[in-house]
Amino acid sequence: MKIQDFAAFSAAREAGLAKLLPGRPRISVGMGTCGSGNGAEAVYHAFRSEIDARGMAVDLVPVGCFGFCAEEPLVNVWVPGHPLLMLHRVQPKHVDGILNGLGHATLPPAEIVLCKIEEWDHLTGRVKYGTGYPEVPTWNEIPFFNGQVKIVLRNCGLINPDDIEEYIAIGGYQALYKVLIDQNPAGVIEQIKAAKLRGRGGAGYLTGNKWEFLQKAAGTEKYLVCNADEGDPGAYMNRNEIESDPHSLLEGMLIAGFVTGAPKGIIYVRAEYPLAVLRLERAIEQARAYGVLGDNVLGRGFSFDIETVEGAGAFVCGEETALIASLESQSGRPRSRPPFPAQKGLYGKPTNINNVETWYNIAPIVSKGPAWFTETGSTKSAGTKVFSLVGKVHSTGLVEMPLGTPLSKFIYDIGEGGTNGRDIKAVQTGGPSGGCIPAEMFDTPVDYETLAQLGSIMGSGGMVVMDEDNCMVDVARYFIEFTRSESCGKCVPCRVGLDKALKMLNGFTLGTATHEDIGALDELCRMVRDTSLCGLGQSAPNPVLTSLRHFRHEFEDHIVAQRCRAGVCEELALSPCENSCPLHMNIPRFLQLYKEDRVEDAFLSVILDNPLPASTGRVCQHPCDNRCRRAALDEPVNTRDVHRRIADEVLLSSAFEPMVRRVLAQRLEPTGREVAIVGAGPTGLTCAYYLALLGHSVTVYDPRPAAGGMLRYALPEYRLPKAVLDKEVELIERLGVKFQFNVKVGQDLALNDVAHQFDAVFLAIGTWKEAWVYLPGTELTGVIPALPFLEAVSRGEDVPIGRNVVVIGGGNAAIDSARTARRLGANVTVVYRRERKDMPAIPEEIEAAEHEGASVVYLAAPHRIVGDKDGQVRALEAVRTKPGEFDASGRRTPVATDEVIRIECDSVILAVGEKVDPDFCNASGLKVKETGTLEVDRYSLETSRDRFYAGGDLITGASNVSNAMGIGKKAARNIDKRLMGQERFASLIPDFAYDMVPPETQSELARHVPGEMPAAQRVQSYAEVSLGLTAVAAREETARCLRCDIRSVER
Amino acid sequence: MTEKVKVRIDGEVIAATAGQTILEVARANGKYIPALCYMEGLSAVGACRLCMVQVAGVARLLPACTTPVQEGLAIDTTSSQLQSYRKIALELLLAERNHVCAVCVSSGHCELQTLAQEHGVTYVRYPYNYPRLTVDTTHPRYVLDHNRCILCSRCVRTCAEIEGAHVWDMAGRGIDTRLVSELKRPWGEATSCTSCGKCVQACPTGAMAEKGWAVEEMTKQRTVVSRLTSMREGQ
Amino acid sequence: MDKLKIGTCWLDGCSGCHMSLLDMDEGIVAVLRKADIVFGPLVDAQEWPEGVDVAVIEGAVSSQDDLKLAEAARARSKVVVALGDCAVTGNVPSMRNGIPVRTLLRRVYIEGATERPGSEPPAVPTDGVPALLKHAEPLHSAIKVDVHVPGCPPRPNAILFVLSELLEGRTPDLGSKMRFG
Repeated sequence: MKIQDFAAFSAAREAGLAKLLPGRPRISVGMGTCGSGNGAEAVYHAFRSEIDARGMAVDLVPVGCFGFCAEEPLVNVWVPGHPLLMLHRVQPKHVDGILNGLGHATLPPAEIVLCKIEEWDHLTGRVKYGTGYPEVPTWNEIPFFNGQVKIVLRNCGLINPDDIEEYIAIGGYQALYKVLIDQNPAGVIEQIKAAKLRGRGGAGYLTGNKWEFLQKAAGTEKYLVCNADEGDPGAYMNRNEIESDPHSLLEGMLIAGFVTGAPKGIIYVRAEYPLAVLRLERAIEQARAYGVLGDNVLGRGFSFDIETVEGAGAFVCGEETALIASLESQSGRPRSRPPFPAQKGLYGKPTNINNVETWYNIAPIVSKGPAWFTETGSTKSAGTKVFSLVGKVHSTGLVEMPLGTPLSKFIYDIGEGGTNGRDIKAVQTGGPSGGCIPAEMFDTPVDYETLAQLGSIMGSGGMVVMDEDNCMVDVARYFIEFTRSESCGKCVPCRVGLDKALKMLNGFTLGTATHEDIGALDELCRMVRDTSLCGLGQSAPNPVLTSLRHFRHEFEDHIVAQRCRAGVCEELALSPCENSCPLHMNIPRFLQLYKEDRVEDAFLSVILDNPLPASTGRVCQHPCDNRCRRAALDEPVNTRDVHRRIADEVLLSSAFEPMVRRVLAQRLEPTGREVAIVGAGPTGLTCAYYLALLGHSVTVYDPRPAAGGMLRYALPEYRLPKAVLDKEVELIERLGVKFQFNVKVGQDLALNDVAHQFDAVFLAIGTWKEAWVYLPGTELTGVIPALPFLEAVSRGEDVPIGRNVVVIGGGNAAIDSARTARRLGANVTVVYRRERKDMPAIPEEIEAAEHEGASVVYLAAPHRIVGDKDGQVRALEAVRTKPGEFDASGRRTPVATDEVIRIECDSVILAVGEKVDPDFCNASGLKVKETGTLEVDRYSLETSRDRFYAGGDLITGASNVSNAMGIGKKAARNIDKRLMGQERFASLIPDFAYDMVPPETQSELARHVPGEMPAAQRVQSYAEVSLGLTAVAAREETARCLRCDIRSVER
Repeated sequence: MTEKVKVRIDGEVIAATAGQTILEVARANGKYIPALCYMEGLSAVGACRLCMVQVAGVARLLPACTTPVQEGLAIDTTSSQLQSYRKIALELLLAERNHVCAVCVSSGHCELQTLAQEHGVTYVRYPYNYPRLTVDTTHPRYVLDHNRCILCSRCVRTCAEIEGAHVWDMAGRGIDTRLVSELKRPWGEATSCTSCGKCVQACPTGAMAEKGWAVEEMTKQRTVVSRLTSMREGQ
Repeated sequence: MDKLKIGTCWLDGCSGCHMSLLDMDEGIVAVLRKADIVFGPLVDAQEWPEGVDVAVIEGAVSSQDDLKLAEAARARSKVVVALGDCAVTGNVPSMRNGIPVRTLLRRVYIEGATERPGSEPPAVPTDGVPALLKHAEPLHSAIKVDVHVPGCPPRPNAILFVLSELLEGRTPDLGSKMRFG
């Protein structure tokens, strides 16, 4: 039925409406490539056969994708008079229930109900579905859709892409009709210009201007081309647009054909998009049949035809001159411009090329006018842009947002942050030739100019999110590998330059590159960017250049420290657990040795990697858990409790004496060099231990009467029994380390005197100063800082504490204080200003505190401490907060509300953080950073003074035991290297021969968790809470290791 | 077509004709801008990127060989950035294939070798590729050594535009791009080849040579193309 | 003033650069007035000595022994000069790089051998010959090089210029004086 007049057009429209809103239920299944890939076909067929079997009067149609890829398959269910119900993660097993509910409009199970749509604005028309389902959220109340503005995607996932009548029903081809009636091409161009529509392919050139060039070009032989050669890894918005709504594309091109006088349009689409090609061809066929395409369009005497050409998949064919060459059956290589395609394009004729998405904006602009269009977006970039939000983000999918929206909105609001709560590190915009933008810059508005300033591009709208598991060097390498293989080979910088850049980047991932290579790579990439012939080469270096700009330290880590923090570059790590361990313990080795029943060897392996294995086995934050690959099967291997078990078995038994002799046997020959260490905390002890093993003479100074630092004086006995620590310190002492207790360097002993006596000095005084917040009432009696409180308790002093205690803070010190106060018989309330998931304390500790009867008040910011007339604490007043904007750490900033809560109490423990003693730093004469910590070289740990090194919390600020020990170990290595002129650290480790074959069958056992004393009993004493693993459990646990340290097995 | 314009090249004001490229104007006025893929008499393709110049007011660098002059352009051809980029491009070419000058028939008469020397390339900073490449000796009079080919496409254009035979083309892509004769048929079996040898004369390096010459002995008549073109235009 | 020390060595090359070095005519006298040659093909020393001022190295790095010698020279010398195309670019020795070492050795020692009646079957020698590296590489891919002197061989007066400048404590600026080949 050819539409040749308005009556026929109206008839088609009525026919379409009767399909969209029939007098019976309608079920539509999202069957884009994404839906089909997630099983939508099976769901569709299940509906089909069940509906047929039951003989139900239900319409079933395929639609495109509504954009929420993470939740596919999506199914829409509409019952006349009710809202359109959107279901997610629908499986064939749900079909029965859904059909059963149709008769009385009851809701399917809650877990598959996503949202509802009561009325939809297709921009060219509205569809009113109905009202109801009060318990179901409206679509834009879902975080993923909240804030999205659907202009380009206005029809996607709602209408049947294979049915032109449905398109006409929602106002499709009306804009075309209007343009053909108005007969004012110049007016349309003015509209497009006034709308400030910019090319959505990435370059952002004004579309109206391009049309005007073509319109003014002489002759009648001219071409319109749609660039649907979407080849970016991670970008699929064009595919979805075509698959879901092909007619909007045709309409855009038809309008342009009329106003520019071009008789022909060509859609260059990738052959790898078979479904898009199919739907497009069906749409073209239907459009011809309905008289909206071909001769005498809509009876208005205008002729225009469209054909599709399938590209063979070369990325460079997205570049317009290469695309033209490809259309002409030549090899897809770009050529120099000028002449521009508008002057000399396809077959030498004037040609206008626009990206798919650009064409989708035309009909709405013509229908609703430029003023409406410019309401959305930023001043220079009007309208919206579709992004494919993918990578390490919780919710992935196609997101259409106004231009100028900040990145944080995409990542934290729409995407709902990182997967499994991981910290997001960066986002790469614009596909393989875009740049990586670090999390600190997520307030950046997404528009053409701002992204360019940051060295990235808008590109076609790819948005790949990366978290701490992504190595930025490897990411840059990956993208260069891609662009290198997609280079056409015509110009030298792109062809050879990218090849060399890849070789150099490989050097970084292997750890073989040098420091000079950083500069050389930077220079080479600038050259490729500045001198390449086409956009591919000009933008290909962006990932490297932006990574070098924002993540240079990662490049340095790879070559100087030979470390890939993300654990991606395999050559630089033994296994993910080893890589994540601040002490770089060879975890698979001690697990295997223990598994082989070689407890002494296992202990030697552990103690040579970590001098405080029993202590860390109790209190380490176990970063290894987060990286363990076993987690992908069930749960991570409990390596921490295994090395605690190994350590306890030897330290606390008769095996200790023979073991001391074995460790002593590993000690290298005396060197005659003397090293002073200031601070006997975990950092100082670790450094002392290794320097003694390396044969140096070591003296440790500490102002307290015994060794251990925070381990002894801040960690409560119930977490770390001091008898265990004593054994570890004894071993260090017997290696020859001399301790000078009760000496405060800088006060009792001048730093210069130390400098004169020793060949090197290592400073590790930690963070013992309690950070003091400004809070009215802190001067009252009953306000106690956390550290002195914990220290006094650990020394067995009588600590005056009230019956009702409030602890302010959310770190480990806060939780330790709360649990200790419980043991002193007090009622305890912890007050924290953010949400629980933001608490820095170890989650198990928070849980334990709650079990022991401490209550935690979240989202409450202390605002004053109330006292009585005697100056005694009476209550704490706190302001309720609510989560606000995301800060650089990816956490929401607490925002105060009007609500004030009051907690009656007689003591307040302040645990808001610890800092370095500023007096020590200032008196030392060493360079101090703004944060109050000492400034050291990142790799050598040298301070501004020769032969002076520093480490631990003194350089990082308050951190944790294993981080501090890792730094102490690194310091020992560097000090030894400096004193001896060579690297000797590796010689400390003997050859442990052990099985290097992965287990034939995988242990099926679940993670072993140590038993605990019952909470009621716990608060009665300071006895250790964790009972540790039994020998049997520990041995079973070792069998759960997947042995990631084994690279290849010779058979 | 004969509209006159004035441009400034490295500070000197030069009269030119609209439609001429920056490179043509510069060379016609004794200003040297290096180039390897450009050859007088052939269409310009802008592939070697050695002729990049800086035009005042334009953010990006432009290839002199394909950019037409306009009234008032102020062009810098010698900035230190351009020099350093040209040096990198030459080093990239030297590292791409096996340019063993010591045993090359064109040594001493090679444009790549000469440009490298002029730009102070005493060594190549980038890792060498050492590709394994063939030497096509099937043609009775000429030889094609892929080890020395820099993919400038002068031979391709000479054959297509001057001789009208179009024996040569580029196959493959990226770093694997190769010069091919007649859809990868050996040169000696290419029936469209007229054996005119103009491609050999156009070749800037030792990639194409006449048979029978030893190291350093192959000299080329570079003007053969431009002479033919100007004679034909004169007709 | 103490005389400076020059060491020279010859890795995978043809010795042509050393010939060119000797070809400096009376220039060599001027050089020897300021410096002693303490290591080289014509000197008895078996080990690269400590405290060398200028190391002049010819040839590509092709074998384990080449690598060791180059590393020793680097560690014990102030300035390292890569002399000639083999040291600078890999040159002729690098022409084998497209062929896997094993294939190369088999072609040379086994397929290329002429068997005489009664002789041992041909084999790839392993005793007393250093193992070949995967590639013959330019010197700067193995060690840090301070001055590159291209040429096959470099002209004697160029070598004289480089040595004279270095012995005067200056860094020679070769500019556009030298070409490959």
